[in-house]
Amino acid sequence: MPVNGTSSTGPTAAAGSAAAPQLRRAVVVGGNRIPFARTGGAYTKSSNQDMLTAALDGLIARFGLQDERIGEVAAGAVLKHSRDFNLTREAVLGSALSAETPAYDVQQACATGLETVLGLANKIKLGQIDSAIAGGVDSASDAPIAVSEGLREILLDLNRAKTLPQRLQVLSRLRPKDLAPDAPNTGEPRTGLSMGEHQALTTAQWKITREAQDELAYNSHRNLAAAYDAGFFDDLLTPYRGLSKDSNLRADTTPEKLAGLKPVFGKNLGAAATMTAGNSTPLTDGASTVLLASEDWADAHDLPKLATVLDGEAAAVDFVHGKDGLLMAPAFAVPRLLARHGLSFADIDFFEIHEAFAGTVLSTLAAWEDEEFCRTRLGLDGALGSVDRAKLNVNGSSLAAGHPFAATGGRIVATLAKMLHAKGQVDGRPARGLISICAAGGQGVVAILEAH
Amino acid sequence: MTAPQAVILGEMPSLSKLYVNAAATAARRRLLGAHTGTQLPGSSHEVRGVQAGVANLTAYQHLIGETASDVLPAGFIHALTFPLSMSVMNRDDFPLPLLGMIHLTNKVVQSAPVLFTEALDIRAWAENLRGHRAGTQLDLVAEVRGAGEDFVRWRGVSSYLAKGVFLPGIDKPSPAAAPAGFTAPNPTALWQLGVDTGRAYASVSGDFNPIHLSVLSAKALGLRRSIAHGMYLASRALADVGAMKGDAFSWDVAFEAPVFLPARVALDIGTVQAEDGAWLRSEYVAWSPHSGRKHFSGSVASLK
Repeated sequence: MPVNGTSSTGPTAAAGSAAAPQLRRAVVVGGNRIPFARTGGAYTKSSNQDMLTAALDGLIARFGLQDERIGEVAAGAVLKHSRDFNLTREAVLGSALSAETPAYDVQQACATGLETVLGLANKIKLGQIDSAIAGGVDSASDAPIAVSEGLREILLDLNRAKTLPQRLQVLSRLRPKDLAPDAPNTGEPRTGLSMGEHQALTTAQWKITREAQDELAYNSHRNLAAAYDAGFFDDLLTPYRGLSKDSNLRADTTPEKLAGLKPVFGKNLGAAATMTAGNSTPLTDGASTVLLASEDWADAHDLPKLATVLDGEAAAVDFVHGKDGLLMAPAFAVPRLLARHGLSFADIDFFEIHEAFAGTVLSTLAAWEDEEFCRTRLGLDGALGSVDRAKLNVNGSSLAAGHPFAATGGRIVATLAKMLHAKGQVDGRPARGLISICAAGGQGVVAILEAH
Repeated sequence: MTAPQAVILGEMPSLSKLYVNAAATAARRRLLGAHTGTQLPGSSHEVRGVQAGVANLTAYQHLIGETASDVLPAGFIHALTFPLSMSVMNRDDFPLPLLGMIHLTNKVVQSAPVLFTEALDIRAWAENLRGHRAGTQLDLVAEVRGAGEDFVRWRGVSSYLAKGVFLPGIDKPSPAAAPAGFTAPNPTALWQLGVDTGRAYASVSGDFNPIHLSVLSAKALGLRRSIAHGMYLASRALADVGAMKGDAFSWDVAFEAPVFLPARVALDIGTVQAEDGAWLRSEYVAWSPHSGRKHFSGSVASLK
C-alpha cells in the first residue's frame, strides 16, 4: 500500500535531487547497555556518568576499542545535574577510549538516544566521521534537586554583595519557604499535567481498553523474558552492580495479576481510568550505547555490520491546546518517513514502538487504523494501515525492560539491529525495522533500519 | 619471602577496636616499660570469603574521583585489607608501637581485576624488620586472592617507620645522602583539599586514625593540624592516571612532607609511551604550591 504524503512537510523529493551528494552508508556495528534497574534499586548511588561509563566500557571491551580514537561520541541524559554539562565527554575521559575522542551532549527528552544515533549516522554518511558511539543514560534515583527559586536568587545576590551589611541585608530576605527544595517531576511545564495524566486523556480519546493495555504489557514481559532465556541479550548487555537482567522484568506475571492492579492515571475520568502501574513504565535507571561506523571502518576493524541506518524523521504536536495527545507525535512522523522512501507497513518486518505506556502504543496504532484521522490529520487517502502484532516489540520493550529516558533509544537500536541481521533478506530485499519513540514536549523521533 | 603460618580469623577485625587496643597497649607499655622483643610475629593473619560492600565502594569511588565501576580500585583493596594488617601490628608479640608509625612507601601489584561481587581470601603479615636512620622500619604485606584460589590478584607492601624506636640488634643504616633538591614542574592538576578531607576518607576507608580526623584529635597525637591520609592522596593520583592503566598494573608511592589540611596540592602526571604509542607508565609527583615542598611521588606502570 503506497503512501501518499501530500501534507507532509518533509523533504520528500530530496532523494531525487541532482544536487544531492553521494552518501556513504552508516552501519550499526553493535551495542551495549547495562541492565535497567527500577529506581531506588541496584543503581541508587550510581551517577549518570558512572552508568554511561559502565555501558561504554562494556562496548569498548566487546569490540576491542581500547585506546581507539572514535570519530565522535554523543549521548545525553534527561534528568541531568548542572555539573554534568559535559556528561558524555567526562564519560569518555573515564573510559578506555583514547582521551582524544571528542564528545557532545544531546537532550531531546525520551528521544535523546535515537536522536544521537541519527545525528551521528548522518555525520558518517556525509563522510565527516568514520566511527561513532551513540548513547544515553538516565537516573531517576540520583536525580538533581535544585534549591527553590527564592533561595537561588538570594544566593546569587549574596555572591554579588560586597560588604557585610549588604550581605546581611540579602540574607534577611530568606524565608522558611525558600528552603523547600525543587525536585524534578514528569509534569509538562505548560500544562501542569504529568505524562501519565496526558496519556490517560489520549487513551480515553482513542477508547483503548484496559484489557488491551494489559495484554500489551503482558506480551512485553513475556517477550523480554523469552529473549533473555534464549540468550538474545548475551552480546548486548554487561552486568553492573550485581544486576544481569532488567530488574523490572516480571517473567512470572500473568494477565490476571495485571488485571488486579488499580488505575494510577486518569482517575478523574471515572470509569474510563485504565492505566495502572502494570501497563505504564516505571521510573528506571540505566544506560545504553551503540557503535556506528562507515562500512570501511567496520571492515578495517574486522567488526560486524548488523544494519544500516536508513533514515529518520522528527515530528511534534500541539498538545498544549489539546489538538493532539502529548505522546502522539510519532503518529505523524512515521507516515512522513515511510512516504519519503515509498514504503508501507507491509514493507516493515519489525516494529519497535517504545512503550512509554501501553496506551501510547495502542493509541498510535489506533490512529493509523483510523480513516478519518489519517485523511484529515495525516493528509492520506485513507487509513495508513494496521501493524501486524506478531511483528511488534518481539523481544519486549519498555513496559518490561523499564525506561531510563535517554537510554531507551540505544536499547532499541541495538536490539533491532541484531534482529535485522539475524533475519537477513526478506523477499529479495533487506529486512527492515521501524523505530518509533515518543517524547515529552509533544515530540517524537522515528527511524528505519535495514539489515546489512 | 612467603607468608608465615596463617592464623585464620573468623571475620575482618574491627579497626575502631584495634585503635582502642593500640592506645591501651601504648599506655601499658609506657607505664610498665614492657618490651616485647626484636622479632616480628611468626604468624600471618587470614580472613576468608571477604566481600566488599557496594554502597561503601560507590562512596569510595566518588570521593577518589573514580567512576563507579564494578572493578575494585587498587586503593579500595588496600583499605579492605588494612584492618587485617592492623591486627598483625596489634598482636602482643609485635615489637613496635603501632600508634604514631609513619607510612613511608606503598607498593601495589594488581595482577588481575577484582570485582565487587567476588568473595576474597585476604592474608596479611609483617616482614623485613630493619633499621632506618630515624628509627626502625618494617613491611606490612597483604595478599588478596579470589576465594579458594592460589593466584594472587592484588599484593600490597606498605613500609612503616617507628620513628625514634631503636631495637637492640637491628643495625642502623648509614645516614642517607641528603635528598636531591626538588624543583616543582608545571602542574597538570591542582587539588583543593578541604579541612574535612581526612574525615571524608575515614568514612569510606574505615580508617579512623585520629591524625586525619580533626585538628584536636591530631593535636592529641602531637601534630599541629590534621593531615590528609597518604592512601587518599595516592589513590587520587591513581584515579587521575585513568583507564589507560588497564587491568594489570603496578602502583608505587613514596610519601614525603605530610599534607596539613586544608591545603592546595599541585600535581604533575607524565606519561611514558612505547615507540608504538602504547602506554608504559605514568609518573606523578605532588607538591605544595605554597611552599614548594614535595608531598609524594610515584608511578603506575603496565604489567604487560
